[in-house]
Amino acid sequence: MKPKNNISEQTSENDFLSPLPESAKTEANGYKVPDGYFDSLGSRITDRIILEENKAFKKSQIPVFRKPALWAPLLATSIVAVLLVFVIPAKKTATIPATDEWNEINMAYDASYAQEVLFTESNSMDFELENAVISLSESNTSKGINEITDDEITDYLKDQELDLDMLTYK
Amino acid sequence: MPDYTDSELLELFRTAENKHYAFNLLVRKYREKIYYFVRRMVVSHDDADDVVQNIFIKVWNNLDSFREDSRFFTWLYRIAVNESLSFLKNRQLRSWLSLSSPEASMVRAMQDDNYFDGTEIQKRLREAIIRLPRKQKAVFNMRYYDELSYDRMSEILGTSVGALKASYHFAVKKIEQSVTGI
Repeated sequence: MKPKNNISEQTSENDFLSPLPESAKTEANGYKVPDGYFDSLGSRITDRIILEENKAFKKSQIPVFRKPALWAPLLATSIVAVLLVFVIPAKKTATIPATDEWNEINMAYDASYAQEVLFTESNSMDFELENAVISLSESNTSKGINEITDDEITDYLKDQELDLDMLTYK
Repeated sequence: MPDYTDSELLELFRTAENKHYAFNLLVRKYREKIYYFVRRMVVSHDDADDVVQNIFIKVWNNLDSFREDSRFFTWLYRIAVNESLSFLKNRQLRSWLSLSSPEASMVRAMQDDNYFDGTEIQKRLREAIIRLPRKQKAVFNMRYYDELSYDRMSEILGTSVGALKASYHFAVKKIEQSVTGI
């Protein structure tokens, strides 16, 4: 037989398959199946179809709250929203300590600074006390019209029937 | 079993009360042809059984949308080829993870196969087919065992006739070398 050089010429052939005997070419090709396999195949396929359809039906019957895929993202979004709106801003303000707290913190780390702070505080207290005294004396001088005169003392003693001479130092 | 044509079975399938009956008839009509095609592709009986069941479940799920633009057998065969090829592809992926070649695991499965009583030449032929690439294996089985025409194969696989001829030619060359030990 003349060999064909062009593959497209080999259209009707198994003729170039000469080393393979026709006896090897059966449908089963030596393969066996368990007894009764083909007889039961149809019913096993039908069983699987029914099983899968029941599964699909049950899935469609599951209420929404049993499907985390539906409500879980919603819940997560709500939690994040609450954190953003309420918790995180509140925490931000709380993290900045008041001045006194800063002083306490610094005092805890630096004793000399603590002394300095105490000194400043005592100075400021002295200054406040001094201011208070000054303002009191100023208020007294401004109230000169309220000072007691000698005549008023004399009148008072007269009322009390005391001897003026006894009181007069000569 | 009544001798229905494919068109009659499809018509029967479309009536709700006869759906299961028609489907069972379709399974009975094609089960052996499909099984042996799949078995030649995947070798082991258990794997073939899984794949065949999947094929007919796909047929059940999609038969309503089958519009008879092609013949039913062509459509069924296409599903069978695709399922077999994707099974082999998955097995290849698994074998990469297990660090053994898919051909080696198929040869092992073949040697352990209790459901094989072929002749010596059939054994050698089967081992040679196992070593073919997936698509070439499908082309060889369709052409050599099922004796499908290239036109029909082209319709099933969506590949040009020329490419199929080339693929078959190379498959035969490899098998010749393997069987004759050249």
